[in-house]
Amino acid sequence: MRVAFYPGCVSRGGCPELYPSAVKVAAQLGLELEELTDVGCNGAGVLSREVSDPINARTFAKAEQRGLSTVMTICSTCTGVMGQASIRLREDPQYRERLNREFLADEGLEYRGTVTVKHLLWIIHEDYGLERLKTAVSRPLRGLKVSPFYGCYIRRPDAIIEGKPQRKQYLERVIEAVGAEVVDFGGKGRCCGFPILAANETNSMAMVAAHTGEAKGKGADCMVTPCPLCHLNLDGGQPRAEAQKGEPIDLPILHLPQLIGLSLGFNPDELHLKRHIVRPRTVEEKVQLLT
Amino acid sequence: MQATFKVSRYDPEAGGKPTLQPYTLELPEDATVLDGLFKIREELDGSLAFRASCNRGFCGECTLRISRGGRLACMTRVATARTKDGEVTVEPIRYVRVLKDLVCDMDRSLWQKIKAVEPWLQPAARPPEREYIVADAQLRPVRNAMKCYHCGLCDEGCSVIPFDNTFLGPAALTKAYRFLADPRDGARAHRLRGLGEPRGMWDCVHCYEADEHCPRGIDPTHRILDLREMAIGMGIKSGATNPQVARHYESFAASVKKSGWLDEGRLALETWGVRRIFGLLPVAWRALQRGKLPIPYRHPKRAGAERIGRIFEKVERRKP
Repeated sequence: MRVAFYPGCVSRGGCPELYPSAVKVAAQLGLELEELTDVGCNGAGVLSREVSDPINARTFAKAEQRGLSTVMTICSTCTGVMGQASIRLREDPQYRERLNREFLADEGLEYRGTVTVKHLLWIIHEDYGLERLKTAVSRPLRGLKVSPFYGCYIRRPDAIIEGKPQRKQYLERVIEAVGAEVVDFGGKGRCCGFPILAANETNSMAMVAAHTGEAKGKGADCMVTPCPLCHLNLDGGQPRAEAQKGEPIDLPILHLPQLIGLSLGFNPDELHLKRHIVRPRTVEEKVQLLT
Repeated sequence: MQATFKVSRYDPEAGGKPTLQPYTLELPEDATVLDGLFKIREELDGSLAFRASCNRGFCGECTLRISRGGRLACMTRVATARTKDGEVTVEPIRYVRVLKDLVCDMDRSLWQKIKAVEPWLQPAARPPEREYIVADAQLRPVRNAMKCYHCGLCDEGCSVIPFDNTFLGPAALTKAYRFLADPRDGARAHRLRGLGEPRGMWDCVHCYEADEHCPRGIDPTHRILDLREMAIGMGIKSGATNPQVARHYESFAASVKKSGWLDEGRLALETWGVRRIFGLLPVAWRALQRGKLPIPYRHPKRAGAERIGRIFEKVERRKP
């Protein structure tokens, strides 16, 4: 399967372990990625839609130009922001035409509204196949207890799941498919707090402490997230969340491609687990025992 | 059908904590949770206190937490509200003081927050002698927000309120939107400056929980994002006491405009300033050691960056 790949900014910035992990895992699975290198940041819900919609229309037009109808992301926020933009542009041809005319025409580009934005997580379920993933697993992660954490924008608003409520269970199904054990908890679909890190750090850190603490309390060895922004807060923010809460948490947070990569036989160093702020020692130890 | 309701009971005069009291009752197959509550009060226990009025999803009075989800009791069928154990749990909404059983003190939470956004029209000039003439299209978004009947379900589902009940919340911010979108209102800058302060619109995590919880299809999260766009459009990018919010937006936009993508190191430095970054040294040092700290301003332009910059310029030129 060939898809346009939109890695996003954070997978090579604040979470530089994500990009190489995703690329390795995609190659191992046989997903053919055509990276879009000449496109812009989608706005991440920070930039206003009047700026971000034209930028995203341009990204989609670039994918169309390469004959690709799926843009694959590795970030819940990218998925949500670009997904919502793609729905607006698909459903409102007049709006699309206006953006084409005002912003894309002078570059000789035109977006025809054919692109679908999908996270790697969705592609695994809806295009690649969970059964196929199971057969690719060479090192089932037996005994590893993993809590899912989605990131808001891959679950809400309702339009983004495009009539597929099962998308809200995809992480659990992947955890099972790689042979690990799901540790379910109430906070899995809630906000990680990252969007208000600048506006209200206290509330942001309280969210980190609540979610990581809850998963840890339920016996998770680690948490897995498809969103690097959640990772920045849940992993990078965890020391501050611990200080604010006044008690240790110490819950490693894995990126989705890292969890899958471990089950495909990559060793923790190849997936740059050492780059995390909360060192995933338990994960490394449990994986070592499996090899 | 036979149904078991577990209903939260609390009597302030007796004190203690709320307890779940079980009631088993016979109900028609299509009965709603509110039908069940009426039946309990009329036939089993006259002391049960709850609020309800229209009984058809029109007034927003019977907002409750039903089987651990915020819902209107009159619009929720018993058959679909049962938990795995086959029971229906009925509790008051969270984060609001309970007066008795299922009745909450909405005045001390929701209504205080709504009053704080000055929910009245503030025309810039003297009102006309006769009626205001407003084009239908201009009033459409206002009418949508006016559908809100203050049931409180959006606040009940909010991601921030459980951590900080001083946050204005989606219901009050939607009420603010109702006036900001009204072409007859003349206090836009005043309103947006107020909403920009801490606990206001920038404290929203835009998680879209409110949109999922709103029974009126108003999409409060989208309305909060509309407020932010209005504020950015008017150059009011934060309140007076949280300038880091404005710096965050400015830095984000400047970085993408210049290089096509986000300079995260620059964003952190320009949002927080050197002093705050210095305070974060222990974590920053760990991040640096692990190659996770992007160095500010060492940010090569992406291919196509000029095109992205041009999009920004075109949008900026459009503004008055």
